Amino acid sequence: MRSAAALSRILLLILLLLLLLPPPPPAAAYFGLTGKEALTHFPSLGPSTSSAQGKVHVKQCDLLKLSRKQKRLCRREPGLAETLRDAIRLGIMECQYQFRSERWNCSLEGRTSLLKRGFKETAFLYAVSSAALTHSLARACSAGRMERCTCDDSPDLENRKAWQWGVCGDNLKYSTKFLKKFLGQKRIGKDLRAKVDIHNTNVGIKAVKNGLKTTCKCHGVSGSCAVRTCWKQLSPFHEIGRLLKLRYDDAVKVFSTTNDAVGHSELAGPQRHSHSPKHPASPRSTDLVYVEDSPSFCRPSKYSLGTAGRTCSREGNCDSMCCGRGYNTQSRLVTFSCHCQVQWCCYVECQQCMQEEVVYSCKQ
Amino acid sequence: MAGAIIENMSTKKLCIVGGILLVFQVIAFLVGGLIAPSPTTAVPYTSVKCIDIRKNHHKTKWLMPWGPNHCEKLKDFDEAVSRQIEANDIVFAVHIPLPSKEMSPWFQFMLFIMQLDIAFKMDNDLKENAEITLDVSLAYRDDMFDDWEEIAHAIEIRKLKCTFGSPKTLESEGRHYDCDFLPFMEIGSVAHKYYLINIRLPVNERKGINVGIGEIKDIRLVGIHQNGGFTKVWFAMKTFLTPSILIIMVWYWRRITLMTRAPVLLEKVIFALGISMTFINIPVEWFSIGFDWTWMLLFGDIRQGIFYAMLLSFWIIFCGEHMMDQNERNRLSGYWKQVGPIAVGSFCLFIFDMCERGVQLKNPFYSIWTTEVGTELAMAFIIVAGICLCLYFLFLCFMVFQVFRNISGKQSSLPAMSKARRLHYEGLIFRFKFLMLITLACAAMTVIFFIVSQVTEGHWKWGDITIQVNSAFFTGIYGMWNLYVFALMFLYAPSHKNYGEDQSNGDLGVNSGEELQLTTTITHVDGPTEVYKLARKEAQE
Repeated sequence: MRSAAALSRILLLILLLLLLLPPPPPAAAYFGLTGKEALTHFPSLGPSTSSAQGKVHVKQCDLLKLSRKQKRLCRREPGLAETLRDAIRLGIMECQYQFRSERWNCSLEGRTSLLKRGFKETAFLYAVSSAALTHSLARACSAGRMERCTCDDSPDLENRKAWQWGVCGDNLKYSTKFLKKFLGQKRIGKDLRAKVDIHNTNVGIKAVKNGLKTTCKCHGVSGSCAVRTCWKQLSPFHEIGRLLKLRYDDAVKVFSTTNDAVGHSELAGPQRHSHSPKHPASPRSTDLVYVEDSPSFCRPSKYSLGTAGRTCSREGNCDSMCCGRGYNTQSRLVTFSCHCQVQWCCYVECQQCMQEEVVYSCKQ
Repeated sequence: MAGAIIENMSTKKLCIVGGILLVFQVIAFLVGGLIAPSPTTAVPYTSVKCIDIRKNHHKTKWLMPWGPNHCEKLKDFDEAVSRQIEANDIVFAVHIPLPSKEMSPWFQFMLFIMQLDIAFKMDNDLKENAEITLDVSLAYRDDMFDDWEEIAHAIEIRKLKCTFGSPKTLESEGRHYDCDFLPFMEIGSVAHKYYLINIRLPVNERKGINVGIGEIKDIRLVGIHQNGGFTKVWFAMKTFLTPSILIIMVWYWRRITLMTRAPVLLEKVIFALGISMTFINIPVEWFSIGFDWTWMLLFGDIRQGIFYAMLLSFWIIFCGEHMMDQNERNRLSGYWKQVGPIAVGSFCLFIFDMCERGVQLKNPFYSIWTTEVGTELAMAFIIVAGICLCLYFLFLCFMVFQVFRNISGKQSSLPAMSKARRLHYEGLIFRFKFLMLITLACAAMTVIFFIVSQVTEGHWKWGDITIQVNSAFFTGIYGMWNLYVFALMFLYAPSHKNYGEDQSNGDLGVNSGEELQLTTTITHVDGPTEVYKLARKEAQE
């Protein structure tokens, strides 16, 4: 009897503990990949999507790593699964391109542990993934892959009427709005890390917005500028990646302060203006922010494989990439395609050339 | 001895008329700013790369980018290389509009521009002055399950104007060229619900077709159409304005025919201005809702052109008829020097418009700017028209200057004149100055609003109220010129009041029944007096 009572008490305690535990932090970004799958294994879009539209996208949604709410959104919108996969690809490719000559090369290994911390690299990952999602969503809208797009956010009029009357918004506005819903940003807790993640996610969205170019066309009487129509145009994702890399280089370390007047905590950066020491400046909305100093990424760790064996360029970055361990010089004969006759599209005729090449790779 | 209504109106009445017109003017602006949405919408479309497998299956030749029975898609061209798909089998498909929407005749017109995403590759560089050859076709259907009907098919050549911001090294491979957009298509009516564009880029190495055009990654289109809401507001405005101008025209002409003399040139010109305004106003566009009239766009251009030509001629003739010198004008041939440039200029623009929009009736993908000869021809037309316009304005400014010189000459000699003549001249001067003021105000408003609408972002927000600046510009300016013509016909119609009525002793040697024409040929009425001769001398100096 006594043991049973003790057991029940322990059970109650566990239950209480479970209730008291903080809820899982809100998902402020979407990566889709856990890091275990390699990018190459990631199913590329093939002709498989063409048959039987109805069920396929639901299956695709199940394949992706999504929260319950995201899964519901994904099932509702037939084109979303494909767009999400596009976004993941776009984000990873760009990240790896931008970090090709850094110690951390945006590899998928160690990504999961990296995402749990608050490094500069984590900040970049959050930003680039949200930028890729925004970009892909806007593009998917213009390609007709999504059913609910721009006119969805015209509040007063019914969807179809809004289109006829001409008061629909633009694709980017829609994709930003959708993304905020998809990532569930509304609940901002007191958790510093969650706030940092949301901030960095918004930096990514903003980078896409800032990359818009306005183009105009005149079409008045005889083509005069009496009537002119302007539209905004997404810049190529490379440009956005480059911008985010610059932001990464100038990332700001933040800590949490509690604003007594308002009663909630805010992000606070280093004092940019020294005249008000009591009020540390909050980081600008375009700055990437981080809370922890990054590891060196030199040696294999749970965050990366280390830089051993990475190739580097001798004039450029060998010293920094190899962390002072030195590098091996290896010369080898490489065959490569040369004097290529490339034609649009899809026709390449090359000769095979042999060349001696010197490869530098970091020592163990 | 009678003048125009404006001279015989009391200041109070004139103010009332001005106030009423001003109210209408404000309404015209507000209708555009508050009720109408922005005039046009630009919708971006990204083409879907389809594989044309028709050869094996012999299905329809139209390839759909999405929806039921859409085509087999290509993700990118690397996939095409690995699958050994030829360029001629790749079709860029764009469905207009996007899913779950449909086009409507209220959109009035559609025009498309094309943007190419060309990536830099070391071994596939974009050639200098590269030209791209497009095999384009356009189809429509009105039901989601109908077959596509072809509207047009053409093979078009467009010049690529691209720049590359970075050094052309291995490092910057994959970055995109910065290319100017290309004119793609223009249709003057939107009679169908769904449209489909299929673009092919056929490659023929021997003929050098589509060789050296770089690595094309994507074709994007931007479709521009008038907003349905704006069209409705615009039509409503036209439908309201047509009868008002028509009524004042009938009233005006009746007043002229009631007089014993034949109408003079200036009266005729004002009437012609009214006719050309009505010509613009008549809402024939209503028919475009029911009929597929692609020539509506061209017709609209012609109507506007006629009105502009008429307005410019009116200004010249008005100045000329208020010159207050001895020359007898009152004939159109007397103004050939000034009206000539207008005629030549409008004719040039008409030819240019026919070459562009006229040909587009046959081939919607045509653009005069795509070929070198065409560009030169178009530029020639536009330059000639520009020179004519400059010439015209020089003449106009000179005439206005002359009138003002004569006015100042007259004003100094006014007190010495007989009463009838003084009243006559005072009337002339007032008429001229009034029109001058109104015209300048209207022109300034047009220019200011034009600049504002070009500079600002399209809409302003004040709290909950959004003001569509562009729409306000269109409705406001359109309303303004309508009111201008209306006021002109009302105020410059011949008055039935006599100067003689105002004075007790009508002993001025002028028969009070005799109606003075709107011209300044005072020499007809009585011979030049000593004072007048003196004034003329002054004026000539």
